[in-house]
Amino acid sequence: MAALEIAEPEKLDDAYTMLGTEEGSIRPMGGGTALMLMMKAQLFKPSKLVSLRKIEALTGFSLSVDASHIRIGAMTTFSELEQSPMIAQHLPVVTQTMKTLANVRVRNVATVGGNLAHGDPHLDLPPVWSALGASVRIVGVDGERVVPAEELFLGYYETVLAQGELIADISVPVRPGWRFFYAKVTTRAEHDWPALGLCVGVRAEGEVIADVSLVLSAAVDKPTRLKSAEAALRGVALSDAALAMAADAALAEVHIEGDGRGSAAYKQQLLRVHLGRAIKHVMQGSASA
Amino acid sequence: MSAITPPPFASRSLPRLEAREKVTGRIEYTHHLKLPGMLHGKIFRSTMPHAKIKSIDTTAAAALPGVYQVVTIDDIRKVIPNPYYGPAFHDQPILADGKVRFAGEPVAVVLAFDKKIAEEAAGLITAEYEELPAVFDEIEAMTAKVLVHDELKPAATFADLKYLKGKKGTNIALDYQLRRGDTEAAFARAEHVFEHTFRSQQVMHVPMEPFVSVADWQDGHLTLHTASQGPSFVRIEIARLLGLPENKVRVKVPYLGGGFGGKLYIKLEALVTALSMVAERPVKISLTMDEQFFMVTRHPCHFTIKSGLDASGKIIARHCEVIWNGGAYADIGPRVTQKAGFTSAGPYDIDNVTINSYAVYTNRPPCGALRGFGAPQTAWAYECHTDMIADALKMDRVEFRRKNMLREGRPQASGTPLRDAEIERAMDHVLDRMNWSAPFDRGSGNIKRGRGIGIGFKGITSPTTSVAIVNLNADGSCALYIGTVDMGQGSDTVMAQIAAQVLNLDPASIKVIHPDTDVTPYDMGTLGSRSTFHMGNAVRIAAEDAKQKIEVLARELGLPQGANLPLVDMMKQKYGMQAGNIIGTGTYLADYEKPDAQGQTTKGTPFWGVGAAGAEVEIDIETGAIKVTKLVNVADVGVALNPKAVQQQLSGAGIMQLGFTLTENMVFRDGQLTNGSLADYKIPTLLDMPKSFINEHVPNAYDAHGPFGAKGGGESTTIALSPAIGNAVADALGIRIYDLPITPEAIFRAMQEAKGAPLEEDA
Ligand SMILES: Cc1cc2nc3c(=O)[nH]c(=O)nc-3n(C[C@H](O)[C@H](O)[C@H](O)COP(=O)(O)OP(=O)(O)OC[C@H]3O[C@@H](n4cnc5c(N)ncnc54)[C@H](O)[C@@H]3O)c2cc1C
Repeated sequence: MAALEIAEPEKLDDAYTMLGTEEGSIRPMGGGTALMLMMKAQLFKPSKLVSLRKIEALTGFSLSVDASHIRIGAMTTFSELEQSPMIAQHLPVVTQTMKTLANVRVRNVATVGGNLAHGDPHLDLPPVWSALGASVRIVGVDGERVVPAEELFLGYYETVLAQGELIADISVPVRPGWRFFYAKVTTRAEHDWPALGLCVGVRAEGEVIADVSLVLSAAVDKPTRLKSAEAALRGVALSDAALAMAADAALAEVHIEGDGRGSAAYKQQLLRVHLGRAIKHVMQGSASA
Repeated sequence: MSAITPPPFASRSLPRLEAREKVTGRIEYTHHLKLPGMLHGKIFRSTMPHAKIKSIDTTAAAALPGVYQVVTIDDIRKVIPNPYYGPAFHDQPILADGKVRFAGEPVAVVLAFDKKIAEEAAGLITAEYEELPAVFDEIEAMTAKVLVHDELKPAATFADLKYLKGKKGTNIALDYQLRRGDTEAAFARAEHVFEHTFRSQQVMHVPMEPFVSVADWQDGHLTLHTASQGPSFVRIEIARLLGLPENKVRVKVPYLGGGFGGKLYIKLEALVTALSMVAERPVKISLTMDEQFFMVTRHPCHFTIKSGLDASGKIIARHCEVIWNGGAYADIGPRVTQKAGFTSAGPYDIDNVTINSYAVYTNRPPCGALRGFGAPQTAWAYECHTDMIADALKMDRVEFRRKNMLREGRPQASGTPLRDAEIERAMDHVLDRMNWSAPFDRGSGNIKRGRGIGIGFKGITSPTTSVAIVNLNADGSCALYIGTVDMGQGSDTVMAQIAAQVLNLDPASIKVIHPDTDVTPYDMGTLGSRSTFHMGNAVRIAAEDAKQKIEVLARELGLPQGANLPLVDMMKQKYGMQAGNIIGTGTYLADYEKPDAQGQTTKGTPFWGVGAAGAEVEIDIETGAIKVTKLVNVADVGVALNPKAVQQQLSGAGIMQLGFTLTENMVFRDGQLTNGSLADYKIPTLLDMPKSFINEHVPNAYDAHGPFGAKGGGESTTIALSPAIGNAVADALGIRIYDLPITPEAIFRAMQEAKGAPLEEDA
């Protein structure tokens, strides 16, 4: 890795100026964990990195006064979320996901914003934010816009962010009555990138799945909502037949890619099995949510 | 010879002498070394698996500010006219010479004072290639028209390879043969015949300290500082390359952060030597973790095993066809082919055995020694085969083994009788720890459970020599001069214990001098579980020699018998002041007899490495996900001189083999490694450890030829582990996995196959 400059602006405006709007060798840096890997592999050779760690507007996380949503600043680290009793109470699926995400050293520095902006379809949190219905606030010289987390991703390592735009924070709705669970399915060693990531949420009324939220990642090029599978389950009583139908619908609506963690055909089987198991798991209420 | 009762220290788990220095980060590693004026080298590697090099463009790299020089084979030839090296064949060029033979082969090197600049400049080099057809599969390579080398070039040091010199038109570097009895006739009269084929994948050593070497060429003599397991070999081979006497080449080795067989023979040493000669400056190369995949790896192995049995279930004939994918350069592969070939019929008493074992060149990264020297790959085949035969004959799997087991005094396939090898007791110890006779829970719902065992053995590289010097200073303090490399196995501590035992000293007070070929005497290498046995014997002999010299001195001084005067007082009496040394020397060469043309010898190995394993597995039948819930490893190490160090060797070897069994696999597409980083090449972590993980040695074992009854144990628990797991999977599912690694997808595919609904492959 060649030498490079790291700037640490304290104001958003200064950051915009430094970043400019031309794609090139200047990029923002959150925790730097993803950037560092790309730089080591010589996939990215920055001339300058603009660290966001001193910009106060991007930090902190809190529950809204009416307890309807949680705002999480882009520079919030994974460890901060993992160790927060407030998050454990209102977004237990986030606490659960952290336990098998990377390792303590990475979690201590990796940030919520960097994780979203990276656009790697194997990351564990994007499907969770998507399933929870979070929205992302994007800021830039031209002002700000808000996009649903699931619309942030365009494809493999591709997002809607333009050069010079920053993720400021995300807003995650607190959803009483819902239970969520993230299934990280690894196939090579216990600790690995997922062969399949699946975030499942349900609002149960007795044995009936009143509402459901399903987002798949890792086996696809971006976190993808399983809309047909959701439709197949909504308002239906839990049964093996219903789960099998939902799995068929899911397999029909997404294009699953094979990789080093499993062939496409095998991942299809994993989706079938783990979709059913995850839904049973949350319906039984033993989920993390 | 030593007494049959173990000496007192034998039960002492003395903490490692260097433990404090290691955990406080003060210990010496080659990675820390900086010499004045030293350059760093960064390697530019081939992107083609097999190609002629049309041109190499180094202009942009050379023009980068801070770059000292860019070196190719043309520069090297000016200082080393015949720049080819290797332990068995002189087939490997120091840098690619007109041709590349695997993707990842070193083609050029950038030298710079700043490592980062060297790295950046290496990225600016380009090469033009004319692609050649390549061969990657060992079976294809046996008969392929594509030739990896035009001509075989065996090293003169191995007399038995001479017949291969100049052979053309083949990828077979070596064909090892063993013939015992009349196999064909025995098959003809056999009641049952079974034949199966098993495959092992390419894996890597993954030492936590990647390869690193520093060369300092000055005025016609060379100093190498290197993370090597075999400093004596490095000196001999480098001296040969340079046409120098051995005393002009000095090789120094501090502690190693793991070696596992990878850091043997010549690795970076020839390259840094050549670079230092070209640049006339010290040169260091330290590989990254990812580059290690292109240095040396473990052989993929294709093993077809066929057995004939009589009506009673006795194995009367066995035919082994073992093919080793050696990659582009032979390294020590031909020796792996011979040594693992030799025991490939397994620890069974079989009168008629035919073994053919082939070392084959392909366009993959080179393969060499890795913990077990081929024995794990062969045991994967013969121990799965054992269970399959027992099941087919409806015999109990344990009793079938007992019935056919090779026992003390009986000749192994080579004719060498089994001696001090506790195969049956190792198996019984495993069975005991597995609670084998208790009822076994077979699982419920989507979980199926199974259990299995395996037993195995290996011969030890022979003939090899170790030399040790024990130096007692005039104050009675002791230093031990040995070439054994402590790479984490604890050899310093054990060698000090052996010397201390003879000299009646506190082992922690002994100073072990690390390998420095100007100072420490010859040793064949820290390899193949040989050090405790060979160097341990040399140290014992050297210490006994020193002790005898003290007794002579006492007589000379007229001291009454049993006076026990402290050495310092004796030395003062003798020399008139505190002066002089007592030097004891010891050389150990194990008894050996060269095999005849049929591979027969009565002295084929100095001792037998013995391992047995048991595994319990849980399989999710909807996904194939596998968990090893219990793993038992048992080895016969003779007397455990340092039980704690032994236990760590057994568990360490077990964990390594667990990775080779379940997770590790170098995946290639068109000759390109697609998972060459630890993010994608998965070694087991703590989370992958079995919940119950038991590692023990056979109690009260004794090797009559070992120092105080001890023998090596660094590899024994690698041997039988994979088949124990494979057999447990078969026990759970009734389905046999033939290829390693046993991944969840492999299991699921095998289950689908058995159902007649095979899973589609990726295009
Ligand atoms: C050893 C290791 C193991 C890992 N294991 C896992 C795992 O098991 N599961 C998992 O999900 N992930 C894993 N990861 C990936 C990790 O989650 C990501 O690297 C991390 O989330 C990225 O966050 P960061 O803050 O470090 O991003 P950075 O590296 O700082 O940035 C990543 C990208 O986002 C951009 N960026 C950063 N902040 C912003 C912002 N506020 N607005 C706009 N763009 C921004 C950067 O320019 C860059 O392009 C692992 C990583 C490592 C190193």
